[in-house]
Amino acid sequence: MAVIEFAALTKRFGETVAVDDLSFDVEAGQVVGFLGPNGAGKTTSLYMLLGLVSPTAGRASVNGRLFKDLDEPLHAIGALVEAAGAHPGRTARNHLLSLAMLGRAGSSRVGQVLELVDLGRAADKRVGTFSLGMRQRLGLATALLCDPEILVLDEPANGLDPEGVHWLRQLLRQLAREGRTVLVSSHLLGEVAQTVDRVVIMAQGRLVANTTLDELTRLGGGPLGDTRSLEDAFLALTAPGATAGTGSDGNPATTGKGVLTPLGAVPWGVKKWRS
Amino acid sequence: MALLTRFELFKLRTVRVTYGLWAAVAALGALFTAIEASRAGATGSGVAALSTAAGQSIVTTTTSWSLLFAAVLGVLVASGEHRHSTTALTYLAEPRRERVLAAKALAAAAGGAVFGLTASAVAIAIGLGAAAGAADPRLVPASTLIGHAAGTCLGAGIFAAIGVGLGSLLRSQVAGIVTVLMWGLAVESVIGGLFTSVRAYLPYTAATTMAGIKLGNAAFGPAHGVNGGSPLPFAAAAALVAGVAALLCALAGATSVRRDI
Repeated sequence: MAVIEFAALTKRFGETVAVDDLSFDVEAGQVVGFLGPNGAGKTTSLYMLLGLVSPTAGRASVNGRLFKDLDEPLHAIGALVEAAGAHPGRTARNHLLSLAMLGRAGSSRVGQVLELVDLGRAADKRVGTFSLGMRQRLGLATALLCDPEILVLDEPANGLDPEGVHWLRQLLRQLAREGRTVLVSSHLLGEVAQTVDRVVIMAQGRLVANTTLDELTRLGGGPLGDTRSLEDAFLALTAPGATAGTGSDGNPATTGKGVLTPLGAVPWGVKKWRS
Repeated sequence: MALLTRFELFKLRTVRVTYGLWAAVAALGALFTAIEASRAGATGSGVAALSTAAGQSIVTTTTSWSLLFAAVLGVLVASGEHRHSTTALTYLAEPRRERVLAAKALAAAAGGAVFGLTASAVAIAIGLGAAAGAADPRLVPASTLIGHAAGTCLGAGIFAAIGVGLGSLLRSQVAGIVTVLMWGLAVESVIGGLFTSVRAYLPYTAATTMAGIKLGNAAFGPAHGVNGGSPLPFAAAAALVAGVAALLCALAGATSVRRDI
């Protein structure tokens, strides 16, 4: 069952098309890596899903409903996005307590998530004194506060040191074991490769791949030729000129390693661009 | 809505700037009340002697700063979210943005009322203390003092809501604060000084008359104390100021609040 759905989602800023006819689903219990180079439209897509940006066309929904129509959004979906910061003059504990009040999560849960993200000792310090990594951990604590089944994490590894990245990997694995649905965007392809079930790749506002990690990195026989790693596949799919716009059948097409793959003609996972 | 308002109140209580503004209201109220009390009865001061009811009424209503600071508080409540990039988180918790705006206005109004109460308490304490120090008996009835304090609370509360509407419209903390101070300290003083027949209808001036301040006494510069015109009845002044707050919040709700983050 799809719990997150993007259906022909489009966003234009003036003449610029930030997201172009994006369609894909995320099934319950899946951990999906949402990849793409800077400016690919990932963050804009996530913001539209979360009701922070209005789509020009199409629809993004959570459990079949627009985010703004969710009864208890903090319980339905936990989100870590760059724009959702904490007031620098407020302590981490008070930041979470305010949201716990609104989400009826209880103050004991605040202590739990602070410990979970290893901020227990900094709980009563003002957020303005936090490093970028600590703020990122606080953002994750915020996302987890009301114990949501669905998590949307936009670049959660930003600002984390190697130990923090290792910790994040463990956290994502734990969330996956718990059967939660996670849509995570990241530039750390190695981390994504170790964690996700599926990969969705965007380039220049368009979807260029939606498949399992295994299919994407299958040795030989795949449409990307001798692709061996997620990084190889990512670079092949997102390189300048790789997205050829429209194939002969009018659908998005992709070139990579000399392969032109009109939608619908590909015998592997990429064909599921439009679900 | 009650939960959302409590959420906004909690946020207001857990940042230092709220307490800084509150302290500034008390400090400025004390300073200006002391100045007015020291000038009371002096020739050309415009402040009647403390031995008169008029003089005591002036020094116990030196509360206009609380209105401006309440509006500044409202601006910070609304535009501070944009300054500190916390807007998105608030909308993730409550996606219905008009409800968030209303809760902010209510929470800021509560904060503004506390500012008004503080300013009144300080002015009454220092003003009557100065009179007592000069061995002058209290000539202003307690009911009048309470009425002025209540008017100050109500006026400051509504002004805080005006600040929320303005801050939501402008989305800039600096622009919002400058607008509030320029409007209160300069624009209304100039307009009110030049056109005394309309000044009772200016929102800041109307709010000061709700607080028991004589029409024109809250003006700054040459317009201060200029006679002319009559204050609006309390209910009319309250309706006027509340109407401005509602208009600004409605404008913000229909425009800037709906914008993409």
